[in-house]
Amino acid sequence: MHAPVVVRNLRKIFYDEGRGEVKAVDSVSFECHEGEVFGLLGANGAGKTTTLRMLSTILTPTSGTATIMGHDVVSSAQGVRKNLGFYSATTALYPRLTTRETIDFFARINQYPADLVEQRVEYLIDRFGLAKYADARIEKLSSGMKQKVSVARTIAHNPSILIFDEPTVGLDVLNALDVQETISELRSEGKTIIFSTHIMSEAQRLCDRIAIIHGGHILACDTLSGLRDTTQQHYLEDIFVLYVKAGQETV
Amino acid sequence: MNRSVLRLLYVHEMKMLLRARRTVVMAVVLPAVIMPLMLYGQKYSAGRRVRLLSATTYRYAITGPLADRVRGLINQTRKNLNDSPDKESERLKQFKFVEINVANVRESLANGEIHLYLETMTGEEADKLPPKNESGSRRSNGSRSGTATKRIEGVPLFTVVYRADRDASDNAHDQMLALLRMARQQDSQSSLIEHGFPGDPKQLFSVQDSSVATHGQVTGSLVGRFITLFLVMMMFTGGAVASMDIISGEKERGTLETLLTTAAGRSEIVIAKQLAITSVGLVITLIQGLNFLLYIKLRVIALPKDFDLQLPTGMALTLLVLFIPLAATIASILLMISTYAKSYKESQMYFFPVYIVSLIPSLAAVMPGISLRSVIAFVPLANVSVAAREIMMGRPDVLMILVTLGVMVSTAAYLMRASARMLTREDLIIPAHVEAAEFLGGPRLFQKRVLRWFALMWVVTFAVATNVPALASFQRQLIFNEIVVMLGAVLLMLWTYRLNPIEALSLKRVKPAVWLAIVFSIPSGYLTALGVFRIVNVIIPAPQQLLERFSEDLIPKSMPAWQLLLYIAVLPAICEELAFRGILLSGLRRKLRPAALVVGIGLIFGLFHVTLYRIAPTAALGMILTAIALMTGSVFPGMLLHAGNNALGVLAGDWFSPEMLLWSHYAAAAAIFALSLWIIYRNRTPLPTR
Repeated sequence: MHAPVVVRNLRKIFYDEGRGEVKAVDSVSFECHEGEVFGLLGANGAGKTTTLRMLSTILTPTSGTATIMGHDVVSSAQGVRKNLGFYSATTALYPRLTTRETIDFFARINQYPADLVEQRVEYLIDRFGLAKYADARIEKLSSGMKQKVSVARTIAHNPSILIFDEPTVGLDVLNALDVQETISELRSEGKTIIFSTHIMSEAQRLCDRIAIIHGGHILACDTLSGLRDTTQQHYLEDIFVLYVKAGQETV
Repeated sequence: MNRSVLRLLYVHEMKMLLRARRTVVMAVVLPAVIMPLMLYGQKYSAGRRVRLLSATTYRYAITGPLADRVRGLINQTRKNLNDSPDKESERLKQFKFVEINVANVRESLANGEIHLYLETMTGEEADKLPPKNESGSRRSNGSRSGTATKRIEGVPLFTVVYRADRDASDNAHDQMLALLRMARQQDSQSSLIEHGFPGDPKQLFSVQDSSVATHGQVTGSLVGRFITLFLVMMMFTGGAVASMDIISGEKERGTLETLLTTAAGRSEIVIAKQLAITSVGLVITLIQGLNFLLYIKLRVIALPKDFDLQLPTGMALTLLVLFIPLAATIASILLMISTYAKSYKESQMYFFPVYIVSLIPSLAAVMPGISLRSVIAFVPLANVSVAAREIMMGRPDVLMILVTLGVMVSTAAYLMRASARMLTREDLIIPAHVEAAEFLGGPRLFQKRVLRWFALMWVVTFAVATNVPALASFQRQLIFNEIVVMLGAVLLMLWTYRLNPIEALSLKRVKPAVWLAIVFSIPSGYLTALGVFRIVNVIIPAPQQLLERFSEDLIPKSMPAWQLLLYIAVLPAICEELAFRGILLSGLRRKLRPAALVVGIGLIFGLFHVTLYRIAPTAALGMILTAIALMTGSVFPGMLLHAGNNALGVLAGDWFSPEMLLWSHYAAAAAIFALSLWIIYRNRTPLPTR
């Protein structure tokens, strides 16, 4: 039985007019298991977003393979997207739709069974405490509410795999905690979650396994206790710095 | 294609557009409000001007030795206005003139005391003036002197001096000139009668006109010239606001990435967006059309005299069938602009030049002498423009309308596919990055650009053939097309993209059996083509006059045979094969399947042979030559077949005429030709394709 997410030697090269050839992701490999939160921990520009964009089929890998629930990200992109909920700071909501319309649209567009959509929409409105704002346009909502609608639209079609790309960026502490709580709940429902962040405490609190990514390479991938054992460091921040420095020296 | 997803996306797009206040105001409300406001404003100001000018009493003065004579003439003519029933007299009666005495006419004109003055001169005084142009000349003070015809020596000269920069003075001068001309006519008429002429010299003979076209046909011709232009303008301006919001706006809001991560396919997203743009464009066109009807009803817009628009159901349906792919094409163009632009502002910047360029072909129907039975049928937008005119004039050319429809549907489908492809371009979704091919250049970029090169080559060939008289002769045009355009472009592409000539031009050896088959295929292929032409000519007869002209154009009578063979057989065979079966095939073969390559390259080859009746046979030859190049992996067998075929075209006419041959001869030739192709297939060393 294959893991729900399998990534093998994934590479992405960009061509930038200023910097020339940029290896944003270089030979990245990992697997995510059912019901786990897999963390991609890295600084800005480490290659987290590019990796996740390849997994969500927005970008095409330069080489390597990746499968989501057995669907290849290149040859079966639509199959991938049906099984995937993608959330990132760059995936905005339609400001002119209401909360209810937003969840309804994303459930239907991702081909959730039509006869169950209404029920699903009501469930999600209730789950995220959006009843009061159900018929308000997104443009009228506060950023905390928008965040909740964003999560609701990500899971509108009840996908098996969820990608959260730095979901707490720009949020206040309470809203960030809300998002983390939701991710924990989704894990307990058996979802496979890839969670990228540069905030150590979040990774420490949420992730079952953590991959430290830097300069497009995965430098380490293990459970937090495994990483502690290997590095003999307690704090994730120290572990991260240790790997990044070692990685830079290798380079 | 998932229809429920498509419907969902379409409804979603329409909802987004209708809820965007900016879009609704800019696309629907503003045009609907501004147009009547402009028309009413224009009508009001024109009416006010007329009222003001007709209410004004124009003051003038007369100077010079013949002032009394002019005064008398003016008074007499104004009296006679009451007796003349013609329009000019009616018009002049509305204007009120009064002569006043002033000390200095120039000063009075400058300070507005008078609107004009009449300067009179005797014949002797006028003869002393420097000569003037027949159409009038400018004086040093800037005023215009209105002597329309050459003055006979010795006759007096009356000059109306006025200020062209003042509305009332300018208008007064027009009326005074008209009055003086009328006075001159009446004066000369009474002189003639005094000298024994029996009556009015205007009555020597009568002139009238009579058009055999019905009012409906005249109206059809008028509306037909502008209907496509109107539609293109409305669709572009109406659809533009929607298209900008639909992709550039999504990019700005960050919702494009959200949409692209859903299970909807790129083609479904693009089609839904195109349908939304087309819907908005059509609604706005409809609103504007209804607006015009309303203005006509309210008499804000005056229709031409005897306007009688007849639009029977068949005609309306034919137009509709042509306008649907036109609307889809415009929607695709708008969507591509919006996808290409990184922001709303940038798409506004690109819109205007594209809009202007798209209006040019839509003007084809306005140009005199352009018929649909020409290369225009293959030019998108221009073909619909001319077809609409011919349909509305009641002269539809069914075959060419079908060609037009085919071209427009293909254009719309191609642009639709291209816009769907644009949504997968990473550099357009994540603007900081450049596409690999663009950055690295070389063969990958060549594959992307090769069709653009050929489009440019076609434009150059066409533009030079029609606009450069120095290259109009047979030899010069061939040398320019084959050596400068074809060979020049091939060499330039090899150099620009650092291509390996042997690989890019398929300069490879082939098996001896292939050469044998080619030798047999030359006469058999030629005769097969003749047979096909005879069959086709039974179904769609080509005009005899056109065929004669075509053979005259192609084969100059005075040229020696060796030169004819050089120009018609050898030169095109080498240059065109290197261009079409060499570089073009090399650029496209990794992107298309063999069947698409054969048809596509054949059609492009045909389009380079500009005359319509040459396009079809050359496209067929192009397809066969492409198939041979694909099978043999080499450009050389095609060169021999091409040269042999063209040489027979020059020489065979002296040996026999097609009518001498029986159908059995054609059948035998076709069998040998098929056998030759089979031998080539059996000995194939194919080019790798997609």
